[in-house]
Amino acid sequence: MTIPIRPLTVTINGRQHGPMDVPEGLMMIDVLHEMLGLTGSRLGCGIGICHACVVIWDRDDQTSEEVRTCITGAGFFDGKRIRTIEGTAQTDERGEIVALSPVQQAFLDQFSFQCGYCTPGFVNAATVLVERLKRAPVPRGEVQATVAAALETHICRCTGYVRYYQAVRDVILTTPGLTRDGT
Amino acid sequence: MRVRRRRTFLIAAAIAIAAVAAAAFAMRNLLSGRTGGPMQVVSAPPDVVARGKYLAEAADCAACHTAPGGTPLAGGLPMPSGYGTIYATNITPDPDNGIGRWSADDFWRALHDGVRRDGQQLYPAMPYTSYRGMTRADADAIYAYLMQMRPMKVANRRTELNFPFNIRLGMAGWNLLFLHDSLPAVSVGSSPAWQRGRYLVNVLGHCGECHTPRGIVGEMELSRSFTGFALGRVAAPDITPAGLAARGWTAAALVAFLGRGLARQGSAFGDMHPVIMLSTRNLTPADLDAVATYLLGDSPPAPTSLAAPDPAEVAADANGAGRISYVALCAGCHGLEGNGMPNTVVAMRNNSTLRLADPRNLIVAMLDGIGAENFPHRQHASDAWLRRQAKRRRGGRARELSARHLGRGEGRRDSGCRASLALRPCGLTDALEGTTALGY
Repeated sequence: MTIPIRPLTVTINGRQHGPMDVPEGLMMIDVLHEMLGLTGSRLGCGIGICHACVVIWDRDDQTSEEVRTCITGAGFFDGKRIRTIEGTAQTDERGEIVALSPVQQAFLDQFSFQCGYCTPGFVNAATVLVERLKRAPVPRGEVQATVAAALETHICRCTGYVRYYQAVRDVILTTPGLTRDGT
Repeated sequence: MRVRRRRTFLIAAAIAIAAVAAAAFAMRNLLSGRTGGPMQVVSAPPDVVARGKYLAEAADCAACHTAPGGTPLAGGLPMPSGYGTIYATNITPDPDNGIGRWSADDFWRALHDGVRRDGQQLYPAMPYTSYRGMTRADADAIYAYLMQMRPMKVANRRTELNFPFNIRLGMAGWNLLFLHDSLPAVSVGSSPAWQRGRYLVNVLGHCGECHTPRGIVGEMELSRSFTGFALGRVAAPDITPAGLAARGWTAAALVAFLGRGLARQGSAFGDMHPVIMLSTRNLTPADLDAVATYLLGDSPPAPTSLAAPDPAEVAADANGAGRISYVALCAGCHGLEGNGMPNTVVAMRNNSTLRLADPRNLIVAMLDGIGAENFPHRQHASDAWLRRQAKRRRGGRARELSARHLGRGEGRRDSGCRASLALRPCGLTDALEGTTALGY
């Protein structure tokens, strides 16, 4: 039995990878881990429940959304642009981190996580949310509900979510332009 | 002039009074008008109440008479239709909102004739069209069970039907045309199990209310009984013996599906999931067998096995958009070969929904997702078993615990994941093609 091979070209964190040969049926997380050395995305449940493995898919219309790489085949990403946790912080020309993103910094400041296994997923979910609010601010009174709705599918087994949600709420409320007056 | 005006006024007043009197007279004669009356006190032996509970579950009263997240049997579920929205009512024994003042005769009339205690017609959203076949003894047992429940002060919501459907009296004519004493058999049989199954399926389970096509004024088209109908977004599939066999169903598979919600042929989703959680999983093994016997008949047709796909067709589509989309979006869980994961993800190969000629349910499942649903791991758990489990979990403080505390029958024992497995609609058409191309 031979496994069909498919070509894959994907732009990750602004850098194009491929075209490379990928066995049909390989999930994207395996490509990230095994072929590209991008091990920051976490394989948790492997059946699309925990959302530790999500990456950000940047659509051409400037919107973004999370995609679970443990259940999404590599073929889905052919020709697409994605961001992984490795691309979140600012780095210098040597690849050294010079500044964390506001979401990352807030998670550290608020002790949002303990073991950290779910954190890449939470960072990506919060990043997608913050970027969405830049385009379409919500009333200040709706921030709590908006955060809960955006992070709801992400599962964390250590901290009980409170500090994650608190940190994202703080980022949204202290960043100009993400909210508007009203309830 | 002035006298004349006064006379006109008097005549008008007399006419108005006469009209009101005539209306009152008509109301009194047409409707019993009974809204008050004493609170009924029902004392029934425990075995009758227990039988009533079993029958109420078999008749699946709770599926409609409980609002999502609401108090059991206190009503409130909205049922939208082309004619407007009907809200299921409170059937706890509350005197003002429920059936607390109803006698056993009143209850019987509602189930058998579709008439409320005050004489108003019910709409056939209440399946009296099926319940009409119920025995009086069974109706009385259900009544005895309902009347010993805790009365809940939950107000009923007004029916919101458009004219002329808001005239309840119109249902009297509808009943003349469409209310039958018994519903036709959907299979051939005569065994005791088949007879029992016919009663469970046609009467208590009122399966035909969703699975039988409806005509222009909402009546069941009995000549096409059980051939499937889309009352809601998810269509109720064909469950005639031929329809079931064509999708690979056997009696054993039906028993597994109705008892657990899971079979090799797929899992219960949409409106069928609450049917299993609230009703069929509580049936005794003998009654489940009877249901399967009736659905397939005393001589069940052989299940059709899936024809192997044409290798040439599969090879030709090896690089098709459908296959590529299936591999990218579906295979991660359902598998490259469509075999799914045991007890977690249903198989696509031989899946009953995919074998339906109409792709509607498959498309709806892909657009909406089917949600994360819990399936009962153990049916017919005895109270003793539940107490043992409780004792184990609560360190021996189990004496005061009963099955009710454990949420038996309400699906609370399995608190599964909350995440939806909904797929995004992207690549939907391609994915549809993919399922065909792979021969599922």
